[in-house]
Amino acid sequence: MNKLNSIIRHAFLTFLAIIWLIPIIWLVCTSLSGYPGINISKFFPDTWTLNNYKLLLWDVDTVSQFPRWFMNTLTIAIFSCMISSSFVLMVSYAMSCMRFNMRKPLMNLMVILNLFPGFLSMIAVYFILKSFNLTNSHIGLILIYSGSSGLGYLVAKGFFDTVPVPLREAAKLEGASEAKVFLKIVLPLSRPIIVYTVISSFLAPWMDFIFAKIILNSGISSDWTVSIGLYSMLEKTLINSYFARFCAGGVLISIPISILFIIMQKFYVEGITGGSVKG
Amino acid sequence: MKNIGRKIAKFFSDIGNAVVKGDIFVKLSLLIMGAGYFGRKQYIKGIITTIFQAAAALFTVIVAIPYISKFSTLGTVEREMVFNIDTMKNEVNNYDHSFKILLFGMIGIIAIVVFVFLYLWNIIKVRELQILSQRGKHINSFREDVRALLNQKFHITLLFFPFLGITLFTIIPLLVMIMVAFTNYDQNHMPPSSLFTWVGFNNFKQLFTSTISVTFGYSFTKILIWTLIWAFFATFTTYIGGILLAMLINDKKTKAKKLWRTLFIIAIAVPQFVTLLLVRNFFADLGIVNTICSKIGLTDFLKTIGLVKDSLTYIPFLSDPNWAKVMIILINMWIGIPYLMLIATGVLMNIPADLKESAKIDGANGIQIFFKITMPYMLFVTGPYLVTSFVANINNFNVIYLLTQDVFVTHNQYLANSNAKETDLLVTWLYRLTQEYYNYKMASVIGIVVFIICATFTLFAFNSMIKGDKEEEFQ
Repeated sequence: MNKLNSIIRHAFLTFLAIIWLIPIIWLVCTSLSGYPGINISKFFPDTWTLNNYKLLLWDVDTVSQFPRWFMNTLTIAIFSCMISSSFVLMVSYAMSCMRFNMRKPLMNLMVILNLFPGFLSMIAVYFILKSFNLTNSHIGLILIYSGSSGLGYLVAKGFFDTVPVPLREAAKLEGASEAKVFLKIVLPLSRPIIVYTVISSFLAPWMDFIFAKIILNSGISSDWTVSIGLYSMLEKTLINSYFARFCAGGVLISIPISILFIIMQKFYVEGITGGSVKG
Repeated sequence: MKNIGRKIAKFFSDIGNAVVKGDIFVKLSLLIMGAGYFGRKQYIKGIITTIFQAAAALFTVIVAIPYISKFSTLGTVEREMVFNIDTMKNEVNNYDHSFKILLFGMIGIIAIVVFVFLYLWNIIKVRELQILSQRGKHINSFREDVRALLNQKFHITLLFFPFLGITLFTIIPLLVMIMVAFTNYDQNHMPPSSLFTWVGFNNFKQLFTSTISVTFGYSFTKILIWTLIWAFFATFTTYIGGILLAMLINDKKTKAKKLWRTLFIIAIAVPQFVTLLLVRNFFADLGIVNTICSKIGLTDFLKTIGLVKDSLTYIPFLSDPNWAKVMIILINMWIGIPYLMLIATGVLMNIPADLKESAKIDGANGIQIFFKITMPYMLFVTGPYLVTSFVANINNFNVIYLLTQDVFVTHNQYLANSNAKETDLLVTWLYRLTQEYYNYKMASVIGIVVFIICATFTLFAFNSMIKGDKEEEFQ
């Protein structure tokens, strides 16, 4: 009886895992396919080749400029990661560990701002950037990703709430200033949340699609990021000659992103559940 | 509210007090803001304050006033070509740009309000300094003031740049877009070639009315209902699915827990735009799933039971409104369940073991333990997350856009008239209105409505959660 139960249980899990992995397997298989378009009659390709990767990485044409897109996204991601992670850590520390008059009103304000759909403000931001000539530039995109990143402070605040108060008090009694407490005492203890914040803000530009599409709208493909570049390969006129290359690109960027994501998810769970238990 | 009123009253009485009782330096600082600091030998602070005052005055006169003066009409001079006698050429006249007037007028008004506040606040500060010096107390040197920014006033240092960013990239743009909802900014009124102006609540009226040519009322009701249905199913299917999957994996009898978990995580670690675009082609009308379905006879079977129209040779997974809606929810489960599985795993491990043990000793079976202990505990811990994820689903752009854009075409003329589709959420509709049809006024109205829905729901949910206070139960 027990044995049967266990077999059913594992069979069911295997079934679920297959469902969840079919698209991923299809992605990998198609990226290795000798046929450049979508093979609609067979799941597995007829001929296997690494040609799509070769074309993607070394054979740049007007449609496919993957190495360029990759470098663009990498630069944007590095800069916006530096700015947004420091903003997030600064805001969350101030809101968690310091007491000042405007603390509650500011926190309420941020709750309200988070309820507006994100890209409602994009139209106005677009015009602000345009009047400074920053549309179609990577600086504009970096500013958009990092400008209001302070609003996403809640997870990190939940973490800072758990740092014991006596620790900070003791340091202050010994004459350390608030800045020193933050930089020398709390931050070194907060490695998990720093890793989480840095990785998640680094990943945002790789995952984002709409903001990049709104800002980089000139149609010059060498300016694009990976996401809009790959999306453009699926246009009706292109899909039959570029679908396999799209899959190869998908595999290539998924590898580093998955690794970072798997490192991050551990801290993601801690942040989300940890914060709410303490109310 | 009372508290705020009291604070404002105190602020103004302080100012009155300072002006009446202040000495010559305080009174001088009404004219030159730095004067009060010069009087107490805080020269550097005095210079900085005076420079700030000059800059603020210059900004007001040169940038703010010209725009603010046109704010009530949003511009009157239309752009046209004028023949210039000096250069003997046709040139663009000195036209008004309505959106710039709105944007910079708004920024100007906010800046002036801030300047006036700082000006008044400065008087109070200067008066405080006077009292300090009269009592013979220590007055900070500039160096000490700077050091305070790293100590007692460290929060100002921490928050200054983040909040500058939030103001520039969220608050001001949002205010401008809220203003746009009260104008006629659309395809026929696009600056710089033409002007737009204030129209009051007309756009809000339009959202709730339906005539033969203007069908916003019809589309709005349809899309709102679908948005709420979507948000409900998207939140709860993934929530329940995630918990069940987590329990299945974390059960004592399951072997190789880590392997299973990793398999499911891989599915969500791949960026959404890759997987969703892939799945969209997977389920295309002439896609691979349709080939397989017709081979095994599923297409014909669905035809006989009437789920697929006879005229079609394929299953319209993402091209028929009803099929598409169901598919979108199912595909969203594919994306969402592993996330919830991760979160639920973390929470389930935290359930106090003695709680379950004592329930078992009392004779509870597995199902009873699930409904009486596991679920209440999960709901308690993940309650706030559930609320935020419902709101996030109302605003869930990626799934709908990437699955249906360029693929799904509506055949409903009423919806098409207002640029909507059956599968649209309010946010994707908003996006399409701005990016493809330049109908900014209606997009802003929809944005405001989305905000009202989210805000009401959040307030309601959090209130009832606080009422059912179960904090002690699990501590």
